[in-house]
Amino acid sequence: MATNKYLSSTCTIAKNAVNKNGITLFKNPGTDITAFLLSVYQHFHFNYPKFYKMDNLGKLGWLTAEILLKDDFERFNYEPEEIGVVLTNSNSSLDNDLKYFDTISDIPSPSVFVYTLPNIVIGEICIRNNFKGEHAFFIQEKFDAAFIAQQVNYLLDNDILQACICGWADVLGQDYKATLFLVEKKKNEQALLFSPENIDSIFNTI
Amino acid sequence: MSQSVYVAGVGVISAIGNNVTEHLAAFERGEAGMAEITLLNTIHRHKLPVAEVKLTDEELIAVTGPTTHNSRTALLSLVAAREALNDAAIPNLKELRTGFVSANSVGGMDKSEDFFVEFLADNSKGKLKNVFDHECGSMTEIVADQLGITDFMTTISTACSSSANAIFYAARLIKNNMLDVAVAGGVDALTKFTLNGFNTLMILDKEFCKPFDEHREGLNLGEGAGYVVLVSDKVAKTLTNPAYCKLSGYNNSNDAYHQTASSPEGTGSYMAMKGALAKSGLQPADISYINLHGTGTQNNDSAEGTAVKRLFDPNYPPVSSTKSFTGHTLGASGGIEAVFSVLSIKHGLIYPNLRFKTRISDLPFEPETKYLKGQDIKHVMSNSFGFGGNCTSLIFSAV
Repeated sequence: MATNKYLSSTCTIAKNAVNKNGITLFKNPGTDITAFLLSVYQHFHFNYPKFYKMDNLGKLGWLTAEILLKDDFERFNYEPEEIGVVLTNSNSSLDNDLKYFDTISDIPSPSVFVYTLPNIVIGEICIRNNFKGEHAFFIQEKFDAAFIAQQVNYLLDNDILQACICGWADVLGQDYKATLFLVEKKKNEQALLFSPENIDSIFNTI
Repeated sequence: MSQSVYVAGVGVISAIGNNVTEHLAAFERGEAGMAEITLLNTIHRHKLPVAEVKLTDEELIAVTGPTTHNSRTALLSLVAAREALNDAAIPNLKELRTGFVSANSVGGMDKSEDFFVEFLADNSKGKLKNVFDHECGSMTEIVADQLGITDFMTTISTACSSSANAIFYAARLIKNNMLDVAVAGGVDALTKFTLNGFNTLMILDKEFCKPFDEHREGLNLGEGAGYVVLVSDKVAKTLTNPAYCKLSGYNNSNDAYHQTASSPEGTGSYMAMKGALAKSGLQPADISYINLHGTGTQNNDSAEGTAVKRLFDPNYPPVSSTKSFTGHTLGASGGIEAVFSVLSIKHGLIYPNLRFKTRISDLPFEPETKYLKGQDIKHVMSNSFGFGGNCTSLIFSAV
């Protein structure tokens, strides 16, 4: 049954800044993407050695999810199977595919190869958080709020999930942007309604 | 209404044979299917052994008749699925609700790889027809058309556990009275993409693979297809030949640990085996034989071995990996090994684990190395574990 869903929190990492729920938490202008993502990791004192092995899409998505869920997610309200992830982007894993292609002429790198799929970033988020619900990754020309809302509403309305992390995570070279939304059925104090209009407006703010 | 699901027919093609009879003979002779690459056009020829089906695409077409897209994947699938359906010889098949649940992981990629050679050289060249059926689902549709199956079809692609998942999904469709008959299993052809990919992961053995050996150095890729025909209680009663066995248990679990590796404790494999036992209502001591996933990689065999130890210690049933014969056929392996499990029950067979010499130091058990026949086989467990931690166990039981 269709009920209202709410944006318990949102997080965007883009343009060398981290923004959560409309507030800029960290800035590091003038650094390239690799140095910037590392500085985010260090700024928030994350301790997850696997981070260093990830490709840039993995790092970007993982960091955005960490900051999205930090302090704002009562994961113990849910079973692992009740939490899912729906992500989209326009460049798939092309950023890493090109890096992998460069290694082929020498010795193809197994550690680069395993990131040559876009949905690996979902795996990184799920492994970190022990999420075991449905997940999907869609490649689209641009951020499509109506499409994401349709997918997530279906999963929540049919009780396939009780909470869903959704949004956009895209990297190609020095261009990157991730915006993730935590969607739940219960309303926190300042939570906005989960609607195509609201997520589109949040996505386009930064 | 929950009901039993019976296996009424089997069909298989792999490097060791083009049908069930040839497979049984190859097992008895202890003859592995790996060899130097002869058919796949790759830079790894003369360097890496693979287990190729010994028929060229043209020879396969001569057997199957031409299809709308002569991908090797579709051709192999058609050979084995047709054998299974003929073997089942179900009376009045046309009046029953019949489905085709087929798994694969490469789709029509063998033809796409040919296309790209021409296309990359000149963007106006290359036959688009060769990429039209690139995706996995196309293979299922082509073969379903050829088999005349129209009631239901679907494709499952979950890496190396694909066709085990197809079989148990088909069983659930029958149990829930949505189908009367299902041809279920899977197929994969060798492609450059998979050979190069596994080579990149550094898990291909340059010699013939040695599953469950302390000195194992990786897997050999193979190709083929394996299908079982599953039928409901009601259809089983109408069969001319008695059903082979029942599919009594199944489970899919995920250890959510790494993209291409199992957790060292084998959590996913342990949960899959334990879940399948629970579903069948059996105890570990009831299992007569385990057809291991047993790829021959360091990671799989130690994780699977640890999981078997956790569940079965101290009383181990005979275990072996038939990938020592067929190579690792990826999306087809669960279907091919399901056929072997069914034949194990039917003929009282335990298959030898070829080239085994030294027990894995951390494990208190070792695989069976002899071909044994006339055994009393009541329940066979078949393991299929895939990348992404996707682990499935099936249990077949004598009736």
